Amino acid sequence: MAIIETENLTKVYRTTRKDPGLRGSVKALFRPQIVDKLAVDRISFHVEPGEMVGYIGVNGAGKSTTIKMLTGILVPTSGQVRILGRDPHRQRVDNARQIGVVFGQRTQLWWDLALIESLNLIARIYEVDPARYKQLLDQFSETLELGELLRMPIRNMSLGQKMRAELAAALIHEPLVVYLDEPTIGLDLIVKERIREFIRQQNRDKGTTVILTTHDLGDIEELCQRVIIIDNGRLIYDGPITTIKARFGKYREITFETCQPVYQAIALPEGAHIVTNGYSPEDRKLVLRFDRTLTTASRVAHDVMDQVEVNDFSLTEPDLSSIVKQIYNGALLEETTS
Amino acid sequence: MIQAIRRRTNIYGAMAGIVPKTFLAYSLWVWVSLFLNTITMTILVFFWKAVYADTGTIAGLDLQTTLTYILLAQIFLPLGDLSMIFEFGYSLREGGIAHALLRPVDFQGGFYVQYMTQTLTSLFLQIPMALVAWLVFGLRFPTDLQLWAVFILSAILGRTILFFFDWMLACLTFYTTEVWGLGVLVYGASLFFSGSLVPLAMLPGWLQTFALATPFAQALYVPLSLLTGITPLSQAPMVLLIQVILLITLGVLSRLFFRVAVRKVTVQGG
Repeated sequence: MAIIETENLTKVYRTTRKDPGLRGSVKALFRPQIVDKLAVDRISFHVEPGEMVGYIGVNGAGKSTTIKMLTGILVPTSGQVRILGRDPHRQRVDNARQIGVVFGQRTQLWWDLALIESLNLIARIYEVDPARYKQLLDQFSETLELGELLRMPIRNMSLGQKMRAELAAALIHEPLVVYLDEPTIGLDLIVKERIREFIRQQNRDKGTTVILTTHDLGDIEELCQRVIIIDNGRLIYDGPITTIKARFGKYREITFETCQPVYQAIALPEGAHIVTNGYSPEDRKLVLRFDRTLTTASRVAHDVMDQVEVNDFSLTEPDLSSIVKQIYNGALLEETTS
Repeated sequence: MIQAIRRRTNIYGAMAGIVPKTFLAYSLWVWVSLFLNTITMTILVFFWKAVYADTGTIAGLDLQTTLTYILLAQIFLPLGDLSMIFEFGYSLREGGIAHALLRPVDFQGGFYVQYMTQTLTSLFLQIPMALVAWLVFGLRFPTDLQLWAVFILSAILGRTILFFFDWMLACLTFYTTEVWGLGVLVYGASLFFSGSLVPLAMLPGWLQTFALATPFAQALYVPLSLLTGITPLSQAPMVLLIQVILLITLGVLSRLFFRVAVRKVTVQGG
């Protein structure tokens, strides 16, 4: 049975639009212009227990809004959401006992108090058995290296320290579902790796279901087997990372550093085309994408070098980041129409 | 049943316990506010002495009764404090409301416990002011234990009434971003109608009736008027009954307000 179920989940925000300047402000005072913004548009998906799902999209795509509806903070405009069979908004308290949340850009800890004070309080609010709490605290202290941080007020912590503290706070009651909204934002590679390992361990040892939203696709590649991609509030892909890589991984990018700016048209083999997005002859960088089922890298390189003098070139293997970029540039649509 | 009460006591007790710690994290603020409150109290004492220079009584109150009332009003000032509007407004702006909504406790219950603990902590920090009032201005504390018992009961009821009212106003922050203006407006109203500066008995009849009906007066003036004898003890049952009725009405309304308002919550663009 699915642990998370959404059916046609939709959220519309109603906002007031003001024209610029003082005149606009005065006008809005008497005749406010009400504007509806569709943030999440009929999204449906199911998540099984123990899954780790990457939920990705560009800024404003509707990721955080979806997460807030899943947690019960926001009420959907229409559609349904059920977490462990419950309506997370109507049954907020029961739902809250079973979930853990990290919002990467805000804290759930008490700013002026030492971390241990916050953790003690959270453990009591969630009614964690004292013996179990002690055990978990020891475990988390080791995995997340919290030792010295426990006595430190949150306001004195660095970003990386704070995030480790946040994760401990979100998971100290051993929730069944964890929502991680940008948990590695602004962190260095070492801290990122430690956090990824901690999440992986929680999932492996306790079967915790994880929904992860991030702009760092490295997090997704490292942790998730499945990815959901949304754009303008709509779900545009839901499936295994392996499938998406197989579908779009047939494309490779080859970048040429040319001796002179390239203004003329270049004849290319079938299946290859210039990546126009961001192309600038003055940069003397020519980026081509080719379908490796139709042509080869050497064929493309040969044809280009026949027509243009080249200093250097490099071939890029597709990673999730480039695949997502392709999808946002319309690759999914192109594939559907073709 | 007993088990459920014990569980709740444990949870809310933990939430209450965090309040004094956060409060005392800013020791400079504690000392500065104590200093400023003492200055205010001193000014008010000299002001009322000047007002009474040419008269024996005002609205039936003599100088000693008025001074006793004013000194006690300054000591018990935290009973009339308002904080929910700024708390909600700040929490919405910073996104903390999201985490508050994610706690597995009754949202209003959690805030109520913290509100009352904050009041107790503030009252505890007023002890030096009480000493100044006693030693410097000769404040004579009432000695009748019955008066104190009625005062404490009325103060708890009044503070709870104010909490529910404060809560309903705070719910407006889900609809408007003009939290500062709303906060200042309410603070201004509380300054006049709580009775912190002037005993409400001195107001004209119609204004006194209006002021007494406000939650601000219920929190500060009503309990203090019982303690100082401005309202005779014989009227205490009626006063307490009115407070209970107000408490139940505002309590129900505040729950309904929140249930509707929380549907409008947005947290940092989402």
